[in-house]
Amino acid sequence: MILVTGGSGSGKSSYAEEIAMMLAEGNNTIKYYLATMQVYDEEGRRKVERHRTLRSWKGFCTIEQPTNIQEALAEMNTGKKTILLECISNLTANEMFADRQPRAVAEVAEKIVGGVEQLKANTTHLVVVTNNVFEDGIIYDATTLAYIRAIGRINQQLAGLAQQVVEVVAGIPVIVKQ
Amino acid sequence: MKLVIGGYAQGKLQYVLQKYHLTENAVWDGSLPVNAAYPENIVVINHFHQWVRHSLSEGRCPEKEVVSFVNQCDNCIIISDEIGNGIVPIEEFEREYRERTGRILVTLAERAEEVERVLCGIGQKIK
Repeated sequence: MILVTGGSGSGKSSYAEEIAMMLAEGNNTIKYYLATMQVYDEEGRRKVERHRTLRSWKGFCTIEQPTNIQEALAEMNTGKKTILLECISNLTANEMFADRQPRAVAEVAEKIVGGVEQLKANTTHLVVVTNNVFEDGIIYDATTLAYIRAIGRINQQLAGLAQQVVEVVAGIPVIVKQ
Repeated sequence: MKLVIGGYAQGKLQYVLQKYHLTENAVWDGSLPVNAAYPENIVVINHFHQWVRHSLSEGRCPEKEVVSFVNQCDNCIIISDEIGNGIVPIEEFEREYRERTGRILVTLAERAEEVERVLCGIGQKIK
């Protein structure tokens, strides 16, 4: 498993796709793209469209899975595969704010990390994209801060599961864990 | 062209001036030199992200303008804050600014002969 992190517009998605493609070619596995983004408006549609275009020639099979990521396994072929999961910040928002009341940080983290563990156990390769949302120095409302803490906790646990952690900076991969 | 990035208040300009033995005279702050005036000496563009922001706020296309600038003035060092490492802003302009600045930096980094990231005043060569 490889964990890819980076800020907005850092090029982390293209990098993660490249890596997933390289891994998949290595043993000729099917490539699955687990998309977590829920589309609410035109801007969201454009973003999804942009990513789809970037991916289209790369031969990924896209599965939309905004919550309960492990359920996507049921839609995949058995046997060798490479899964690209994008991304933890959307997934966390979807899980945390699924109901009227936000769910607790620990509960959300446990659910998401558990889901990633199941993916990892059932695939040849797994690439997970997360997001560096930690450095704008703004004191947000309690709910947003809880959301940030949840992602922080999840990232730490996923980094523990991953063989490699990479931060993408201006499109350049910087190895954090090898 | 060299690219120097890093967080706010990390000593990026000081680092560049010291490393390349330059003075403030070489520095353009939040702006790109105007066409006719490309000097033979090295040009430092400081607060590049502010130039992007200004350009966007005027409805211009910073992507095109900066490419045409570096095409004509390769002997430059571009210094920019990294602004993408936070929560997605609520205001549309702020989102646009953050996203496009990030992508412009990716383009510049691809093209740069060297990219350094400055933290606590110390440069780390990442390309």
